[in-house]
Amino acid sequence: MGASEKKSSEAAFDVPTLNAENLQSNMKVIYYSRTFMSIIGGIIAGILGFTGLTGFIFYFLIMTVTSVGLIAKTGFTVYSYFDSWSQIILDGFLGGLLSFVLFWTFAYDIVHIF
Amino acid sequence: MALSLGFVVGILGVVILSHAAYSTVQYRGLLKIMEEEFSGPPLTVVAELLLGLGFCMWAALTVPGTFLSIHPYSEENRIVSLPDNLDFMIFNHRAKVFPVELDLKFKH
Repeated sequence: MGASEKKSSEAAFDVPTLNAENLQSNMKVIYYSRTFMSIIGGIIAGILGFTGLTGFIFYFLIMTVTSVGLIAKTGFTVYSYFDSWSQIILDGFLGGLLSFVLFWTFAYDIVHIF
Repeated sequence: MALSLGFVVGILGVVILSHAAYSTVQYRGLLKIMEEEFSGPPLTVVAELLLGLGFCMWAALTVPGTFLSIHPYSEENRIVSLPDNLDFMIFNHRAKVFPVELDLKFKH
């Protein structure tokens, strides 16, 4: 009948279903890890007395190490836990930058100015 | 909250960092007395910061939770994702009493 024909032609366009709940939970895990590491990185940058561009370079360094750590946590099989590479590398990058700058100035003020 | 190992390591890392901050504050006080410029914290403080960073990095990777597989056919997901599997979904609605629609082509 018409209904069964429609189903077999749709099989070619079938998007592989992903367990969305687990994907969301994985994204939350990355978000928490990144945020915590940005805060710690900010505190360390403040204590070391970085000013200007050096601090931002330090932030990118911390984020790179965190990304490598997260990829190692997946056991280097990214596709069994995430949709694409960009999710595990770039997610939470800019949000973490704001937390980094906040704690950087905070720690710098406490250690070097007061 | 349960004190898992990762949590304790994270708190330890933060404590090490705050101790390093305190040492740097004292070092700066010393420099002010001797009227020298601050070029960088002493080597012990840098070592302490690296140790604190290592601890906190380990805690950041283990505390938030493990990664769960997203494939519906992987070993741990086979039973859990059965309700989501489209093969088992049944859609019943009253429109099935309507006659089958033919594919009508748009005529100019």
